[in-house]
Amino acid sequence: MTAKQILLTADEMPRRWYNILADIKMNPPLGPDGPVPAEGWAPIFPMNLVEQEYSTERWIDIPEPVLDVLSIWRPAPLVRATALEKALDTPARIYFKNECVSPPGSHKPNTAVPQAYYNKIFGIEKLTTETGAGQWGSALSFACSQFGLECKIFMVRISFDQKPYRKSMMQTWGGKCVASPSTETKAGRDILEKDPDTPGSLGIAISEAIEAAVSDTSGKTRYALGSVLNHVMMHQTIIGLEAKKQLEKVNEYPDVIIGCAGGGSNFAGLAFPFVHDKINGRDIAIYPVEPTACPTMTRAPFVYDHGDTAKTTPLVPMHSLGHAFMPPPLHAGGLRYHGMAPTVSQLIDEGILEPKSVTQLAAYKAGVLLARSEGIIPAPETNHALACVVDEALKAKEEGKEKVILFNWSGHGLLDLAAYDKYFSGDLEDYSLDDKTLEESESVFADFPKPERLTCR
Amino acid sequence: MPHRYEEVERRCPRLGGVVSYEYCRHHAAEKEPCWKILDCWWESFDVVGLLTRELGEEAVNRIANTRPPSKAASLVTLIQQAQKRCAED
Repeated sequence: MTAKQILLTADEMPRRWYNILADIKMNPPLGPDGPVPAEGWAPIFPMNLVEQEYSTERWIDIPEPVLDVLSIWRPAPLVRATALEKALDTPARIYFKNECVSPPGSHKPNTAVPQAYYNKIFGIEKLTTETGAGQWGSALSFACSQFGLECKIFMVRISFDQKPYRKSMMQTWGGKCVASPSTETKAGRDILEKDPDTPGSLGIAISEAIEAAVSDTSGKTRYALGSVLNHVMMHQTIIGLEAKKQLEKVNEYPDVIIGCAGGGSNFAGLAFPFVHDKINGRDIAIYPVEPTACPTMTRAPFVYDHGDTAKTTPLVPMHSLGHAFMPPPLHAGGLRYHGMAPTVSQLIDEGILEPKSVTQLAAYKAGVLLARSEGIIPAPETNHALACVVDEALKAKEEGKEKVILFNWSGHGLLDLAAYDKYFSGDLEDYSLDDKTLEESESVFADFPKPERLTCR
Repeated sequence: MPHRYEEVERRCPRLGGVVSYEYCRHHAAEKEPCWKILDCWWESFDVVGLLTRELGEEAVNRIANTRPPSKAASLVTLIQQAQKRCAED
């Protein structure tokens, strides 16, 4: 037997987080009225976390009580993906950080635990938050249970109904999970009055969670956020700091680093300690991966069309997307990364990170390949990173290069099996609808003359 | 296999679960379709054409080009709105 896992002892667990704000210049966070002063966050965050949000210290000590809780599952294994390498017949050596081993099954508790701790020592007794699919709500419930805090989670109703076991998980850790919109806040009641059957939205759930924190006149309730903010990214860097130590043990250093990037926290957690090296001269390719975005209008097919739906205006040449349009190989300029952490966006803008995008079907296909080779069923968002890993491994094969690829397996998909069911049954395939609407939209350009493509040379 | 656009489904990168097009079109945001609706659905069908027919080109351009406020800005706005609601109660 060859060992697949590279492990650290408890003594080798990193004792400090890496703060990338020491190494990059960022504009201050802007609110609607200009830069947000530190005290502007006081109604929802404890000041010890606000200080971390603004800190430019490169290294921040991890408090002992936080290390104690993290040690339930950390240091997390670094795994050599030998079965995947064999399945792809690639000369690349592929490693992943297995963040599925945390109690809630994802990387999210890496920040939930310190956030709960800092709130506790600030004198806070209750945390509120919102959750979509439930990963973050589960992580915060777990963290609050470790520090004796109450936890209230507003879960978007559509997910609340789809994923009942997430609610069970949160309840088991003592969290109170309610479907949003709820009757517990004025924001929720107003929405329910207008539309009692609404499936809810993330925007409504965030409004409710913030109102629940702000409305506690005792001052003992605060709000917690699981992505985007600087201190969240910093707490996640324990992933990459561990990975560096583990790779050192086998005399490896990555050529390529890959992580899926929605809000950016699991990607940043793995990548930022290596970004520090890249800023200092190391040659590494670092890829945040997102779902393929809509190409910009100027990259769409150039056809004649009417300017109005009634077809009363003359035909004009314009760009329009057809349903058979092929995705571009790269993300459309990175401009759609505005939902992501400002630090990740900044590094993309500076060219230190190179964003990649993959289609939904390529992501699920890669997820199934990894499940059948490495054995772990990935969370659907992790699948985006896996599709990029497969691409890079096959590229290494074509080029005959022994690249070292490192990626973050950010979570397992054991509570996302309904999504896999839909993939296997073909419900997530690209559609070929034959109803009247589709015929109309397809036939719009059929008889129109095509404009001549003119170029300046 | 669904027979109407409203019935087709895909994974929502914001929520983390599978949603229908109808959800993105009518429920994900308060007044307009979700700001990611074009990014998410263009692979599946001509969502730009469909929305242009329904809402007009101006609205589609707005969805395509409008960036949501930064997280910091939206959190500050939500704090102010929540404080206002609490004061009214």
